[in-house]
Amino acid sequence: MSVPGSEDETIIRRAAWLAAWPIARTAMHLVFRRKLFWVLFALALLSFIFMFGAIYLLATLRQKYPQVEQFITSMLKDLDGSGTTFLNFMVAQSTVTIILLAFAGSVLAGNDHSRGGLIFYLSRRINVVHYATGKLLAIGLLICMTTTLPALILFIEYGLLGDTGKYFWEKYPIFFGILGYGALLSVAVGLLLFALVSWMPKPVPLVMLWGGLFVFLPILSQILTVAMREPGMSRREAMDESPWRLLDFWNDLYIVGNKFFGVEKPLFNGAAVVVCSVCILSAIAIFVRLRQLQHQS
Amino acid sequence: MTSLFEIDSLSHRYGSVLALDGVSLSVEHGAIGLVGQNGAGKSTLIKILLGLVRHTDGTVRVFGSDVAKHGVGLRGRIGYMPEREGVTPGLNGIEYVGLSGELNGLPRKLALRRAHELLSRLGLEEARYRRLENYSAGMVQRLKLAATLVHDPDLLLLDEPTSGLDPDGRTAMLALLKSLAQRPGKSLLFSTHLLGDIEHVCRHAIIMEKGKVAASGSLDEMLAGQELAFSLRWKNGNESTNDAYLAALQQAGAEVSPGEELGQARAVVSSDWSNQQFFHLAKQTEVTLTGLEPEEVDLRTVYLRLVGMEAALPPLIGLAKRAESEVGA
Repeated sequence: MSVPGSEDETIIRRAAWLAAWPIARTAMHLVFRRKLFWVLFALALLSFIFMFGAIYLLATLRQKYPQVEQFITSMLKDLDGSGTTFLNFMVAQSTVTIILLAFAGSVLAGNDHSRGGLIFYLSRRINVVHYATGKLLAIGLLICMTTTLPALILFIEYGLLGDTGKYFWEKYPIFFGILGYGALLSVAVGLLLFALVSWMPKPVPLVMLWGGLFVFLPILSQILTVAMREPGMSRREAMDESPWRLLDFWNDLYIVGNKFFGVEKPLFNGAAVVVCSVCILSAIAIFVRLRQLQHQS
Repeated sequence: MTSLFEIDSLSHRYGSVLALDGVSLSVEHGAIGLVGQNGAGKSTLIKILLGLVRHTDGTVRVFGSDVAKHGVGLRGRIGYMPEREGVTPGLNGIEYVGLSGELNGLPRKLALRRAHELLSRLGLEEARYRRLENYSAGMVQRLKLAATLVHDPDLLLLDEPTSGLDPDGRTAMLALLKSLAQRPGKSLLFSTHLLGDIEHVCRHAIIMEKGKVAASGSLDEMLAGQELAFSLRWKNGNESTNDAYLAALQQAGAEVSPGEELGQARAVVSSDWSNQQFFHLAKQTEVTLTGLEPEEVDLRTVYLRLVGMEAALPPLIGLAKRAESEVGA
């Protein structure tokens, strides 16, 4: 039997790092083939469509009824086109993003670990770092699809429907703020999810643990914050300043993410330490597990 | 031209288990069978050659390069077909083989083109857009072979490629492997515990036992180097003539074991033995030789002699084990 290419072609092989993209693309294809993904993605788009419509409505009012627009903007600070508008939108996407990732995790990487697929990747011209980069890229792109990309579209919409040149000239740091916060979410949540999937590839335990981290811990954090607050401290102040709030990982990301928009929140240092620690521990967990699986497979 | 691979004092441990124990080999290009029982160290050796497992001790060079330092680059020249499934459910055949090509550095268009061509040649043209979870065992093996071949590797490492196949599928796979083994400039290392498969595809073999190389070399040399065994039957046998004939055979240099009945024996002789001597000695001791049957020596016989499973063979067989040897092209 002759093999294609053995007779004629001289191939210039691409760098091993470029293999991260086929790995990510394949992982995303597998997720896109699930109906559940599209249901959750449609849910994620609901708040985007609402924001998109609201920004359009405000722009229309601004032209026809400026006083009404000013009144509404003063009432709804979230729609004033500042960095907070887009940061809050991205934070609001957390619930559906977390649910989506819980179900996508097993498809993205879990099957490789539970069904011997890892050896398929690692026996090619790549190593575990290239493999992990590809998988993290896939998770990061999924997160961007529900947070960063819609936020960028809203930012552009806001600029195009108003005084375009002035808005983009004055508010361009918001663009980089959105990208920075999106990158933070992609890296931190991506590493955490991949680490959990590596050790817990089956969907049900993964969803339970993921739910525990992003549902149970935030609730526990709020209960402890209120219960342990100092006498005389308001509930709102406690929510901003209590170290117990650091148990809520998405809130930690929000606190760190504010820095990208030029705002330094209380507990910034603590949140930064938590986020960095989670990232480092997750990276260690991933590579320990991948090495272990490589030797077992 | 450099050797296909050179291994010097290779040892590997999994915790307290010694999987490979001081293996030394120098293997030239060609089709090589790697044979041994489960746990003999075949899969570990393959993974070390592939750079997937970092060995505990010793040096391993493939195509002249150290696998510990150049594992990623070497894998671009190697195609590995694992024993266990290793397929990703949810993908179809084209995507799987195309992905394999891309992971080996091929541009996407070229990888997909080769995937189409290979799947057609391997008889999976109709099934190429079908999800992998709907493939039969035989189709999965052919698909994995396509994924192994897509980047046209110089060396194929095949770990139990006929595992799980029905007889027809096995025959077809062996024919395929045989044709692959005949490609000029390409090599193939075929690991299996089915000795017949090795004889069908390969011209050289490495026999492993308990983490060591029991023997290696060309199949012809291995078979030619074996002592010859014969089953003898004769008439006019009584106690005295019987003993006389057996004694005469032993004096002439044959190792003889008497049969259960008078007038039967098994003799192991060296390669310079002439069959005429059986008749000549029979005449001298006044018995009439009525049966002389050479025992067939195949790879199974060689293997069983080497790994010390004498119980499965007739007695009086001994062969010195070789610690290191060369496999000639």
